[in-house]
Amino acid sequence: MSSKGKSARVRAIAKKEIVEFSRDWRTILAIIVIPLLMFPLLFIIFPLLLESEAAELDAMELNAVIQSNSLPVNLAENLSMNGIDFVVEPLPEVEQLSIAGDDLERVRNNSIDGIVRIERVEDHWKYAILHLSTSERSNELRNRVLAVLNEWEVHEVETLIEEGGLEVNSTLNPLRWDGDIAQGDVATSGEQAGMVLSLFIPLVLAIWTYSSAIQPSIDMTAGERERGTLEALLCLPCTRMELLFGKWLAVAAITGVGVLLQICGLLFAIGYLASSSVIGLPQLSILSIGLIVISIMLFAVMVVAFELALAMRSHSVKEAGSILAPALMLILFPALFTQVINLDGIEGFWFAIPVVNVLLALRELLMNRIITEHVIIWFVSSMVYAGLAAYYASKQFNREDIVTSLS
Amino acid sequence: MVKTLLSLKGVSKKFGDIQALKPIDLDINSGEIVGLVGSNGAGKTTLLRLMAGVYNPTAGSVQLSNGQPVSSMRHELGVVPESTGLYSRLTAWENIRYHSRMHGVLDATSWARTEKFADHLDMKDHLGRHTKGFSRGMKQKTALLRALAHGPSILLLDEPTAGLDITSARTVRALVRQLRDEGGTVIYSTHHLSEAEQVCDRIVIIHNGELRADGSPSKLLESTTTHSLEDAYVSLTQDQARTRKEDEDRESTFSKWWRSLFTPRIPSSILGGEESE
Repeated sequence: MSSKGKSARVRAIAKKEIVEFSRDWRTILAIIVIPLLMFPLLFIIFPLLLESEAAELDAMELNAVIQSNSLPVNLAENLSMNGIDFVVEPLPEVEQLSIAGDDLERVRNNSIDGIVRIERVEDHWKYAILHLSTSERSNELRNRVLAVLNEWEVHEVETLIEEGGLEVNSTLNPLRWDGDIAQGDVATSGEQAGMVLSLFIPLVLAIWTYSSAIQPSIDMTAGERERGTLEALLCLPCTRMELLFGKWLAVAAITGVGVLLQICGLLFAIGYLASSSVIGLPQLSILSIGLIVISIMLFAVMVVAFELALAMRSHSVKEAGSILAPALMLILFPALFTQVINLDGIEGFWFAIPVVNVLLALRELLMNRIITEHVIIWFVSSMVYAGLAAYYASKQFNREDIVTSLS
Repeated sequence: MVKTLLSLKGVSKKFGDIQALKPIDLDINSGEIVGLVGSNGAGKTTLLRLMAGVYNPTAGSVQLSNGQPVSSMRHELGVVPESTGLYSRLTAWENIRYHSRMHGVLDATSWARTEKFADHLDMKDHLGRHTKGFSRGMKQKTALLRALAHGPSILLLDEPTAGLDITSARTVRALVRQLRDEGGTVIYSTHHLSEAEQVCDRIVIIHNGELRADGSPSKLLESTTTHSLEDAYVSLTQDQARTRKEDEDRESTFSKWWRSLFTPRIPSSILGGEESE
């Protein structure tokens, strides 16, 4: 068989798989639309929703009871100005102000949003806020009261300092930063962007590469087997390796599009949320970009081959799904683990651990750090793992029982 | 002079402990229609898959006349498997074209052949339709067109008339005979003796994985001293047919045990016993 004929067959297999797969609208939704919209929805719509909820809370008039025998006038004014409608009662007889005592039911049954107790004791003040943490109104009251008390405390401190004949600023801030704090960071904005992106892009890439390959892998192997299309395919003049390679190409292409769209959605969301000075383009050398592409490709070879092999081992779509879905943990845990590994002075062996190696490589490369020793280790180990996964997949594709049911 | 196309020498097939096919010697000659007849689970499909190179024999060899393995002549094979094996999200023509491309045949060539046979099978108007909504008969015809589109010299047909109406089945049989007349070789699996009698030049009876008889219909009648093929078949296959349990046997012991754990026993009251209080 000529190599031209082989590549034509591989292309024909891949093309047919992609065409057939893309004709299912649910697939397009799962592979194209969801990844594209997931992060924009999460980062843009969700904050907008939170913002509107916060605005709703801000507009609320809250009802409180202030228990004090000597409520300072300026504090009372501040509470009123912050949307707190209150009545003043004398302090109850309690051992400590935070003990609810007879007031427990009033707060629990929501007849009021909270009780603020404040008492002057010689040279200082004591206070407590009784609130119901499961009530949003009560929580909001607590937050507003704390903010008002904080402001009032600052005012009290400054008054005391001035009364003592001291200068407020030099007393409270004897140590001051000189200049712009941001100027102290010598990392360029591109490096900072790389650092930020390195915290989630490898994670997204790993999880989405695996999860978006699940459906096509199953459909093209166990699905074919279940639908009875595999037997006709095995009677064709193509080797099983060509079949595997064609299917691998199709799954990798579908997964690649899904991952790319998800990253686009993620970058769009970040760009929308943050100012461009914070999330700029990472400053990457051509070599870094090339190595990023190689690492992703090796990872994709490994993951897709592994999934195709597991799916081909399965006798049905259901069985394949019940194996591939929990196997996501094999990617998820190393991916989460990798996020917390300190890259400064990291030992070389980390770059030889499956999954971890590629994710660490991506983190380093996104920060434009090219450490030759690390590159060699992750490249060689990734090649070995990708080769092993491909070998395992080829073993599964060469199994005779991939065509079952005798008659 | 008869030319042997395909030679099976001592071919047997085992799946684990199951002897799916006991050693078989069989020559397939050029220009004949060979009927593989047997009950479900007899080993017909296993034999077809061995001939198609989907399975490797456990013992023996499946060779071409020149001694080459069968895998080297896959481009000469046209196969219609029992399940038809059509992709439901592709049109009938796309299914056909996909297989033809895998055979290295140009689209124009396969289209010309498809058009010709589609006329015979009354399928021309359906070639642009997705096969998802096809009836069993239409799927069967599409699979047949797909097997013919690249111009094979050997056709392996596994129950090709299953699910077809009487007229379509007759058309398929006529087409098979026409292909034979044009010099093609057809291996035709069926469990209908009458069909084998109508179509085949030679009948191979398989029972419980064994080749029980091989010859023309008249030769079979002669060798069994019977007056009908049905009587001949019965006399050759008197022992009870094995059950189809190969798939079940491939299941792991743990899977079987787990399944049995959640399978309630049939209450004795249903089986005729007294229900215990």
